[in-house]
Amino acid sequence: MFRKLSFALLTITLFMAACGPSATATPAPATTQPPATEAPAATLPPTAAPIVLTDGLGRTVTLVSPAQRVVSLAASNTEILYAVGAGAQVVGRDEASSYPEAASALPTVGGWSGFSNEAIVALKPDLVLAGDINPPELVASLEQLGLTVYLLPNPTTLEEMYANLETVGTLTGRQAEAAALVESLKARVAAVDAKIATVTERPSVFYEFDATDPAKPYTYGPGTFGDLLIQRAGGTNIGAQLQGQWVQISLEQLVVANPELILLGDSAYGETPEKVATRTGWEALSAVKDGRVYPFNDDLVSRPGPRLVDGLEMLAKLLHPELFK
Amino acid sequence: MRRIPYLWTLLLLALAILLSIAIGSVFISPADLWRILTGWLSATSLSESLQTFAFIITSIRLPRTVLVLLTGAALGGSGAAYQGLFRNPLADPYLIGVASGAGLGAAVAMSIQWPYTFWGLLAVPLAGFLAAMLAILLVYFLARLGKTVPTTNLILAGVAFSAFATSLTSFLMLRSTGELRRAFAFLLGGFTQTGWNPVLTILPFLAIGLGFLVLSGHALNLLQFGDDQAQQLGLPVTRAKTLILVAASLATAAAVSFSGVIGFIGLIVPHVMRLWFGADYRRLLPLSIIGGAGALLLADVLARVVMAPQELPVGIVTALAGAPFFLWVLRRAKNQGYW
Repeated sequence: MFRKLSFALLTITLFMAACGPSATATPAPATTQPPATEAPAATLPPTAAPIVLTDGLGRTVTLVSPAQRVVSLAASNTEILYAVGAGAQVVGRDEASSYPEAASALPTVGGWSGFSNEAIVALKPDLVLAGDINPPELVASLEQLGLTVYLLPNPTTLEEMYANLETVGTLTGRQAEAAALVESLKARVAAVDAKIATVTERPSVFYEFDATDPAKPYTYGPGTFGDLLIQRAGGTNIGAQLQGQWVQISLEQLVVANPELILLGDSAYGETPEKVATRTGWEALSAVKDGRVYPFNDDLVSRPGPRLVDGLEMLAKLLHPELFK
Repeated sequence: MRRIPYLWTLLLLALAILLSIAIGSVFISPADLWRILTGWLSATSLSESLQTFAFIITSIRLPRTVLVLLTGAALGGSGAAYQGLFRNPLADPYLIGVASGAGLGAAVAMSIQWPYTFWGLLAVPLAGFLAAMLAILLVYFLARLGKTVPTTNLILAGVAFSAFATSLTSFLMLRSTGELRRAFAFLLGGFTQTGWNPVLTILPFLAIGLGFLVLSGHALNLLQFGDDQAQQLGLPVTRAKTLILVAASLATAAAVSFSGVIGFIGLIVPHVMRLWFGADYRRLLPLSIIGGAGALLLADVLARVVMAPQELPVGIVTALAGAPFFLWVLRRAKNQGYW
């Protein structure tokens, strides 16, 4: 019996292994989506032409008219939506979306440990705005449910962030507001640039965003907005010499680098300048001796949205108080 | 009398299926459920709010329920087979490397940026499946001694390989600049892919693997006497062991590929069934398959609602809710020397 069975099992297994997935394969997720199954009646008259944009996954996303019911799957997306004046069009958010205040009142559809597809479907969105923080599997499954999903790629420069604002403006029918916002942000950045152009000293800055292990705190390395904004605000980022984007630095390296300023991006988790002064070994650092340890709102450098410019201004003021008297 | 165990487990399974369809992060009242059902049966069109609920049930909860059911069935059945094969109460479907192999394969696949295409999206489950099967092959041939495959060798080779693969996976995860959560979700078990595609893809593997296991109850009964005795009783021991191993691993690897490494179900469900209904493998295997499906469905319902609308990795729930339940069953059992 086993001889026959073994042969059968082997044959069938090989057959399945050879053509199993493709035999059951259905066509690739179509790039052109049918309108969401439960598309609500648009409250605005549709624009003349449909909105066609390519998203961060290289998908072509088509909206018949600007989105009126948007679910945001990333905190930065929520901030952008509100900033371009589309706040009233947002109907759902992820757990981390805490800004602006009004967003916290919206129903959540999931967060760090996973999203609930049915909670998203129940909100009947005509657009789901995802981010690089969301895995492609989530995008695919929402797409399969007939939803229109646009994945906003993470910007790496301020210019790319502006482009994202304009994209969200287009998707929500707020092009004019988005353009005005970008203009005002550019003007604010230019004002900071003009002041910083005069500086001769570029103080060294250590920015920590997690010091659970004070002997090896985490800091922003090259390629992050934390690094970019510190440099742009006229500082020298200690983390810039490290390898990787979100990296640990040893206390030894930190003592050698001896930063003039320490910024506590982890102040939201209870770190204070007083606590830093009591950490073993940290008393040797100039920043601690000179009392130049400051709490900092990490959202202003970690969320790739319009508040990065707030972050730039605050950094410039902390690094060069003499210019902002 | 012999039909009673099936009655009980099938009732449990039916209840679990019902709960899995009725309960989710979006509340659908029993009255609405009833209206949807009667609407379907009488082919009348539903009101707009009911249409959304109906869509949630048919397009989200139903495929997920079937996927969870199949995964639980695979883990329960393979767990029973592994325990019988290794004659070891600590054996579970991951004993000789399926989980660590799949985890490594998935972690490697996740470290690559795949294009957003059908095959790109299939890369992670496919890599998980292939790596799991490769792991089994490797362990099997490493454990081979001449023409026999001693059980102890298999276990030891499996444990050593698992430690190696797990370390490599941890290293890859530490090195990755991307989302660690994705890898964690796989290693803790979770149903990230939705729709019918995953169900259709794993179904053939499960049908073959579990179908074979159901038929191998008699062989497993003989194997409980030890290899020599089983041989004398007319069982081609090495061939039988190899086949059972392949069938159980095939089912497990297919299940793991789409739902990640869900612990505890494959270890505990066979024990509960054994405590309740006895150790005859001809009955234990189908009962473990049914019980595994029911248990995982219940765990998944919990995973979906405990922190709704967030979903917990189901692997956390299986042990968190399953361990106290098992200890309760163990304490109550009259046949303490059951193993």
